[in-house]
Amino acid sequence: MSLRTFILGLASSFGVAWLAIIVIPFFKMRALAPIALSQTVDGATGVFFPKRTGRVADGAGVYAENGCYLCHTQVVRPTYAGNDLYRPDWGGLKADAERGDTRRETNAYDFYGEKFAQLGVMRIGPDLSNLGRRVESIYAAGGDPAAWLYAHLYNPRVNPQGWQSTCPPHPFLFVKREIKGSPSADALKVKVGRNHELVPDSDAKALVSYLLSLKKDHKAPAALDFAPKNPEGAP
Amino acid sequence: MYPALTTTTDQDMLRRAEIDRSLRHPVMFFLTSGAAWLAFSLLFGVIASAKVHHPGFLANHSWLTYGRVFPAHINALLYGWGMQAAFAMILWLMARLSRKECTAAGTILTAGCVWNLGVALGITGILSGNGTGMPWLEFPSFAWPVLLVSYFAIVVWPFIQFRVRPQGLVPISQWYILAAVIWFPWIFITANMLLHCLPGHPLMAAGINAWYKSALVFLFFTPVAVGTAYELALRETGRPLFSDALSKLGFWSLAIIAPWAGMQKLAGVPVAYFLPYVGAAATALLFIPVCAAATNTIRTIAPSRETFDTSAALSFTTAGMICLVVLAVSLVLLNLPDSTLPLTQFSLSGYAMDIFALYGFFSLVMFGAAYFIVPRVTCRDWLSSRLITLHFLFSVYGMLTVFLVTLLGGLHQGLGQEDWRQPWMVAVSGTNPYAVATTFAWCLILFSNVFFFLHLILMWLRVGRHAFLPTQPGSAHGSIHDDEADASDHAAPHHATAHSH
Repeated sequence: MSLRTFILGLASSFGVAWLAIIVIPFFKMRALAPIALSQTVDGATGVFFPKRTGRVADGAGVYAENGCYLCHTQVVRPTYAGNDLYRPDWGGLKADAERGDTRRETNAYDFYGEKFAQLGVMRIGPDLSNLGRRVESIYAAGGDPAAWLYAHLYNPRVNPQGWQSTCPPHPFLFVKREIKGSPSADALKVKVGRNHELVPDSDAKALVSYLLSLKKDHKAPAALDFAPKNPEGAP
Repeated sequence: MYPALTTTTDQDMLRRAEIDRSLRHPVMFFLTSGAAWLAFSLLFGVIASAKVHHPGFLANHSWLTYGRVFPAHINALLYGWGMQAAFAMILWLMARLSRKECTAAGTILTAGCVWNLGVALGITGILSGNGTGMPWLEFPSFAWPVLLVSYFAIVVWPFIQFRVRPQGLVPISQWYILAAVIWFPWIFITANMLLHCLPGHPLMAAGINAWYKSALVFLFFTPVAVGTAYELALRETGRPLFSDALSKLGFWSLAIIAPWAGMQKLAGVPVAYFLPYVGAAATALLFIPVCAAATNTIRTIAPSRETFDTSAALSFTTAGMICLVVLAVSLVLLNLPDSTLPLTQFSLSGYAMDIFALYGFFSLVMFGAAYFIVPRVTCRDWLSSRLITLHFLFSVYGMLTVFLVTLLGGLHQGLGQEDWRQPWMVAVSGTNPYAVATTFAWCLILFSNVFFFLHLILMWLRVGRHAFLPTQPGSAHGSIHDDEADASDHAAPHHATAHSH
């Protein structure tokens, strides 16, 4: 075998796979067409656009830098690939006060505003696809969701829901400062000495804003709905 | 000067000695700095693992948080140790198999320093909170061009040696090394360009990342280690290869199958449906190239029991190749869509597979090669055979523990994750005991590798007992370069005893 034959062999064996699973899917997905909603089946017109509010790009950066993706995923798999959808608060809410069962799997339009979909490496902690929804409606129901998340980031074992949590604390996202005038609204409820308070720094604020933007349970258009809900209510 | 040389064996021996001498500093530089990164990586692995069961451990400093320590651990293992060990093998094997001396030691050493600088800056970037958040590519985006340029400045020399080699049959190990040298930049540039420079769909970016992880293992670390293992088996035993056909099958099936693997990690993710299935199928099919290479090397080594008993190189290589087979079997069993894949997709067993490929298989073969090469390039005997035995036992048993524990723990965890009737905390707390055992095993491996690093430094300083120089080929003990068959004459039965006293 000559070097020429060898390189041709390598180029073709690698090149076919490279084109088929990397290059072509990359450019096809880059130009993902928006999905038109239909008045008859979706009850709306226009295109499907799951809106997100908050410091998404900023907060995604803090999420990545501090390795949240190592223990938390952001994908709710369809039932053929896993049981994520059956959990009462992962794919949405099992019993939302206004919308009923909002659970659905993740779709390709859920990552607007992010550069890299943090699908995650392991699930040492729960999936975060709908963390914002979960905090607002369950963990901090009736209270301030941002305050709940600040307390969680400072010490994940301080909130009653998380006393067994193995999430690392992130005290470095908070700064201790002197209280001048009245205390800050977002100061943590921990004692740090007379006339001092712990307040979230800008990274913590971006991260919490991002986490609260994780609400991936907008009603998906019929075109993306692989398994329309059983009217009797699936488990 | 040299005594008159009459036989071709003497001339061959002298040639080998000259090549080895020309490679002394490049090879020792990459092995020693690689071993230092390995010790660093293992230290961070211990810290990260301890944090899984004791989240409050060292938690007050931002640079020691789990989310930064873990990427630092895995990236130091990949680019600090893995790549540099591979450079040492590529340089040494290419020079020896092409029968050419290394004439660019200075350039290679400079490029090696730049590589280390790139890795150090990358690790600092991760620890200071500037990581990219893309698994295995966490170095801040300035690092990859630095690594790429120094990569080319290092591997261009072995490539030139290959081009100007004397005509003759190219052995299988050289094809493996050459392929790895070509595949790495292709994979590395693709992943970095598409992730850092060309904005694409965020989900496809995650898919490319999953493919990169698999491709780096199976198209760079695997061919380097398999090529090295073939060469060690031939040189240490002096026997011919068990089967030429099997070696060709192993190589080309790897080249055809491995580029398709990796995206099974995206099962259930909204990307094109065929991607995860193709990935799962290719990952399962990797069983073919892996078994072909492992059978071939082990069957070549097996008949030489007496050599095997005295040779650290062969024990490490055989253990590494057995790990490779176990890895391939596990990959088949753990990537079955609709049965085991949902359990392992997001559990500890993914980490178990990564570590098993990088340490259990690749690193063990690299250690074996280091025990073979270092005495030759330094002309010194290893200082302590007890340290070598210790390194072997701690590595193998530590790896076995990490593997079993993270695999079983991963499956246990996966079952817990899938059982949606139970609260989530049940799945989390079930993994705690496995995490404790992993920390313990990492401690054992760390302990043995700190000594490996010190041993290498002392060898580079040439503290050890003088091995017989090849300038005295008539000496009663023979020379350290006397005992190996070269690429062209694998048939001559020789014994290898000169190292690991």
